[in-house]
Amino acid sequence: MRASRFSLRRFLALELVLGGFLLAVMIGGVLASGWLFPDGGEAMDLKARLLPPFVRAAHPLGTDPLGRDVLSRVVTGGWISLTVGFWSVLGAASFGTLVGLVAGYYRGLAETLLMRFADVQLALPFILLAITFAAIVGSSLPLMIVLMIVSQWVQYARVVRGSVLSLREREFVQAARAFGLPDPRILFLHVLPNAFGPVLILMTLNVANNILLESSLTFLGLGVDPLVPSWGGMLADGRTYMQTAWWITVFPGLAIMMTVLGLNLVGDWLRDNLDPTAKVP
Amino acid sequence: MLSRIGRLSSAVLAAALVGTAAPALAGGTLTVAQALDPGSWDPIDTFLVDWSKVANNVYDGLIQRGPDMKLVPGLATSWKVSDDGLKIRFELRKGVTFHNGEAFDAEAVKFTFERLLGAEGAKGPQQSNYNAIERIEVIDPYTIDMVLKKPDPVLPTKLAGYGAMIVPPKYVAEKGDAWFNTHPVGTGPFMLDAYEPKVGIKLKANPNFWGGKPKLDGVDFRFIAEPGTEVAELQAGRLDIATLIPLSQIETIKGQQNLDVMSVPGPTVVVLRFNTKNGVTKDENVRKALIMAVDRETIVKEILLGQAKPIVSFQSEVSFGHDPELKPLPFDPAGAKKLLAAAKVAPGTAVQLDIRGNDATFREVAQAVAGYLQGVGLKPTVKPYEVSVLLNDIIPNGKTGEMFHTAWGGWTFDFDNTAYLMYHTGEKWNPYDSDPKLDALLEKQRSITDQAERLKLLREVGAYVANRALELPLYNLNTFVGINKRVKGFVLPGDNRYRFTDVSVD
Repeated sequence: MRASRFSLRRFLALELVLGGFLLAVMIGGVLASGWLFPDGGEAMDLKARLLPPFVRAAHPLGTDPLGRDVLSRVVTGGWISLTVGFWSVLGAASFGTLVGLVAGYYRGLAETLLMRFADVQLALPFILLAITFAAIVGSSLPLMIVLMIVSQWVQYARVVRGSVLSLREREFVQAARAFGLPDPRILFLHVLPNAFGPVLILMTLNVANNILLESSLTFLGLGVDPLVPSWGGMLADGRTYMQTAWWITVFPGLAIMMTVLGLNLVGDWLRDNLDPTAKVP
Repeated sequence: MLSRIGRLSSAVLAAALVGTAAPALAGGTLTVAQALDPGSWDPIDTFLVDWSKVANNVYDGLIQRGPDMKLVPGLATSWKVSDDGLKIRFELRKGVTFHNGEAFDAEAVKFTFERLLGAEGAKGPQQSNYNAIERIEVIDPYTIDMVLKKPDPVLPTKLAGYGAMIVPPKYVAEKGDAWFNTHPVGTGPFMLDAYEPKVGIKLKANPNFWGGKPKLDGVDFRFIAEPGTEVAELQAGRLDIATLIPLSQIETIKGQQNLDVMSVPGPTVVVLRFNTKNGVTKDENVRKALIMAVDRETIVKEILLGQAKPIVSFQSEVSFGHDPELKPLPFDPAGAKKLLAAAKVAPGTAVQLDIRGNDATFREVAQAVAGYLQGVGLKPTVKPYEVSVLLNDIIPNGKTGEMFHTAWGGWTFDFDNTAYLMYHTGEKWNPYDSDPKLDALLEKQRSITDQAERLKLLREVGAYVANRALELPLYNLNTFVGINKRVKGFVLPGDNRYRFTDVSVD
């Protein structure tokens, strides 16, 4: 009885409700975009450029400098951001976790090599790396995702290694070892589940961070094809129109804000509830 | 009656006041913003328009070019080209002194060109423009002969700017090159007052200017790189002329009562050039179809807000070599589709446009072009590159997609410069094409000085290129500045090389 009321209150926390709602709206919109806006926000009409919002029913949020519908571009543009956000985090988390497990569990030479390599990695500023690579091989979506993985796996590796260092000395791991379980089994079934809380939190925060990074890169002209709607690209398109046509930048900006806010809130909630040392109200 | 007398007397009073006050107050100071600090004010060190915006007020050339692009006497009162085109005789202006009091004479001209063509000039970017000059012969203190290695029909124009500005020999020899870089001395209407690197440069009127004392007391140049900031400063009244304003702000500026926007045809022309070696654009008919698919008139009218003109060949209307008779391919999507079908280009074929990543205006234009190409069934992609990568690697090494962005703006307004670099075999900007007939035309017009014959040849080049559809001609961008209405007598030159001698402020 007490337990169920307790858990209900836990799930009624403002962070989760609001965060989950924002995410549901944004992700739902993006998933339905193909059906809502069959033209993918690419239909151009130079005669109807820079229409203000709430004036014409066909363009509820107005049009951009090329007469494309802002609403359909905002909704469709989420594809790029969410793709980048989720894939980059998935990649970085898998690789970083693996490295952290190996380094923390086996220690010795492997740990020294891996973690010093991680230190080197941490010393490379991301935007500089991105600009250099985009300049050499040309910019593209997969490249951006790979670059984010390369620059972020270190965070996961450090977090996981830190947990594993203390976990490997714990009784249940020693017991598993005494039973003669193979190492992969110990690592993935006994150590990893206990180290996964912080990783999950880091992941939600990094999805948000990477959506912002993608937007900044596209804004700098290093991201995806300008024809493909994306939030960063829309900001770049509208930059010179800030004084005369605010709606071109405000709506994609709001979309970024709501998605990132939603992810941060959910991440916050996860932290509160997965951290055994924190008090749950 | 009474009021009329009142008005009359106040007018008399005002006149009297102006009469007495004018000599003391003179013209006031004009404040101008430009994007860059060239760093060095030495004529042989630069190729930046922002250098010329300032330095055109400090230095004079032997020849001058006014805002109407006509060549007029400068420090030379007259000049005459010999029949074989290998010698130009200049009669020099008498009684001219440099800002430091040094006299201007034939030795100064000789010194200037020997410096430009010698070891010191070799370090800068200007020397190559003047390589046709072999030497300067001093006939008497106010007459010189310029002896040429080969005829250069564009040389008189080139003498009106940049590297050919006359510098004071004694001053440069005494103070040295490093001092001269930051303390320029010339014969022009304004002289250096104070220069603060990266912040601004202040000029004051030269009372001994040979063309008469300027109306202004001084000109204050500020270096502001961000267009939005220039507009804000102009709106706040802290600038009289803003030289870098975004297209989208033009209406905002015009809407403010005390401000206006001046706009004239400029030197910058923009095209999308074709990869004539690989891909679908290898086929001349496909290239023509792509040109016909794009409504350039609408792009100019809607996206560039009329601050540009459609072009047919890669030059502006004021360029020497422009042919008003040359007609563009019409905007005809249906015809384009037919041509594409005849050339067996399947619908949905990918076409890539390579553009400069930092150009916000062209980013819009490229997207509009892509929209029109979608309209005829192609599948365009736009690929933005880092500028230096595009200009130094992708284009010269022939690694572009089907089309690539090229913008060109030669201040000489002569088609020779553009055409030779764009179409002659083996040039940096021509990675794909090699056409013996075009090469022959280009070389021939360089070897003659008969301007009428040159004009004919250059027009032939333009027509030939248009006929082979080597590029998708887009537009010639205007030069425009935001200006406070208190500025009087300012004529905007298309090449942005200002001269403020006759300008005044209220």
